[in-house]
Amino acid sequence: MIRDRERRDLAVMLAPYLVGLAALVVVPGAVTFALSLFDYDLIRPATFAGLDNFRELARDAVFRTSLRNSLHFVLFAVPVRLAGAVTLALLLHRRFRGVGAYRTAAYLPTVVPDVAYALLWLWLFNPLYGPLNLTLGALGLPQPPWFTGLGATQAAVIIMSVFQLGEGFLVALATRQEIPGELYELISVEGAGPWATFRRITLPLMAPTLALLAARDVIFSFQATFVPALIVTGGGPPPYATTYLPLFIYTNGFQYLRYGYAAAATVCMILVTAYIVLLQYRMVRRWRESFVV
Amino acid sequence: MSTASRTAWRHLPALLVAVGFVAPLVFMVTGSLRQAGLPPPRSPELLPSPVAFGNYPRAFELVDIPRYTLNSLVVVAAAVPLTVLCASWAGFAMSRLPRRSAGALVAVSLVALMVPLTALLVSRFAMFRILRLTDTWWPLIAPSLMGTSPFYVLLFYWSFRRLPAELFEACRLEGMRPLAVWRRVAMPLVRPVAVAVAVFAFVDTWSNFLDPLVYLFDERKFTVPLGLRALSTLDPNNYPLFLAGAVTATAPVIGALLYVQRFFLQEFRGSGWLGR
Repeated sequence: MIRDRERRDLAVMLAPYLVGLAALVVVPGAVTFALSLFDYDLIRPATFAGLDNFRELARDAVFRTSLRNSLHFVLFAVPVRLAGAVTLALLLHRRFRGVGAYRTAAYLPTVVPDVAYALLWLWLFNPLYGPLNLTLGALGLPQPPWFTGLGATQAAVIIMSVFQLGEGFLVALATRQEIPGELYELISVEGAGPWATFRRITLPLMAPTLALLAARDVIFSFQATFVPALIVTGGGPPPYATTYLPLFIYTNGFQYLRYGYAAAATVCMILVTAYIVLLQYRMVRRWRESFVV
Repeated sequence: MSTASRTAWRHLPALLVAVGFVAPLVFMVTGSLRQAGLPPPRSPELLPSPVAFGNYPRAFELVDIPRYTLNSLVVVAAAVPLTVLCASWAGFAMSRLPRRSAGALVAVSLVALMVPLTALLVSRFAMFRILRLTDTWWPLIAPSLMGTSPFYVLLFYWSFRRLPAELFEACRLEGMRPLAVWRRVAMPLVRPVAVAVAVFAFVDTWSNFLDPLVYLFDERKFTVPLGLRALSTLDPNNYPLFLAGAVTATAPVIGALLYVQRFFLQEFRGSGWLGR
């Protein structure tokens, strides 16, 4: 039968994707939750520990610090990255000669391999040799103590992440290009200035996508701190200044071989992420309601 | 306002932004050309003096970058074609399914897209260890089964859905099987998307650091990012040396981006994946 044959073909074509999703996302996701209730070091068989891992996390000062650091990172990096992506998109959405080159330039840092990118910033931030402080010094500006002061080190990790906003920029660009030009003609007939145009047309029409982008950025922020923390700052300095949740999980799992404990920290990370995304969703909904009324 | 000054107004901020984003990469290259052991310069220097190319051969000598490059290329050679195949298959099948099943799969893909890798790391590792696949390249290739990222599957799905439905109806009346339609009709029509996905899969696989860090122990199996990290831990203060390594690791992905940027960053809408 033709229909059967068709169905079989489609099943074959879908199979690798579904198998991949199940084996690499669904099952590991479920295992993470299960593992958080066990003590497991990959050598001895796992023993059931109930909620012990979570109780220990609650007492663990390093965990609390890394949770706080991660939240700080999200709080500062996500709005800056989002604003940056929108600004770039508005600046570069028009068609003019050479715009492709400008867009490509803005996208370049995003594709640099994580390790190379981390090493690059290790150099840029170097207090003695680094081009950043040399430039600031030449301009007569203060030279922050990157890698020694608490605030400066955390700011360094955020600055690093801001230059890699290419994906958000791309999405914002596509969204801006979808807005019909007639709307802008209409509002310019009304005599609205650029700020009013932005507030009444561009922002509301881009808002759904931006909300999605913000949610995605929150989720990835928890991950984006891993390589910089491991390579650039080594989790400090001062001690634990840049120990973020992913580094905490990595250290406990893969260095101390406490997989159950690491899984419990992962579960906490997932729950915190979900909570922030929920808060964001509520905020955006309220803002949109206020706009419609 | 005259045309000339309007053009200038359009270009000036764009130019400033572009310079800001390119500057770090320029400093990466110039830093790699500094002679090791020189005292810090007094002012920012665009080109170090003397220009020293010696850091590159030295980096290749200290860690086996050619071998790591070869390893990375083997992984890439397996992962990229598999990604394009699996992602386009899944995207095509989704575009042929009834609306509701397709919608459910899109939702599943979006959720999967939202799960951070670090959240799965511990249990994926346990799983691959039970399968005795740690310290092999399989865990690095496995994600290409799900198109490296579900986003690439969605990209194919959206592109196939934009093709006219009559086309597929005609193929069906001709008695063509979906696999044949995919190969002979659909894929040739979405070539820019396929090229872009291939390049992004290349960039993702080439740059992947977390997976090799966790799964590979044997130094001879290392990929480029791990080699780069080894280089930077040898002598953490020899900036020119590890910047030379960083430039070597970055050059291929920059080349790849410059090659595909015309598909999605150029000014002409209608030809690329973002266009209509």
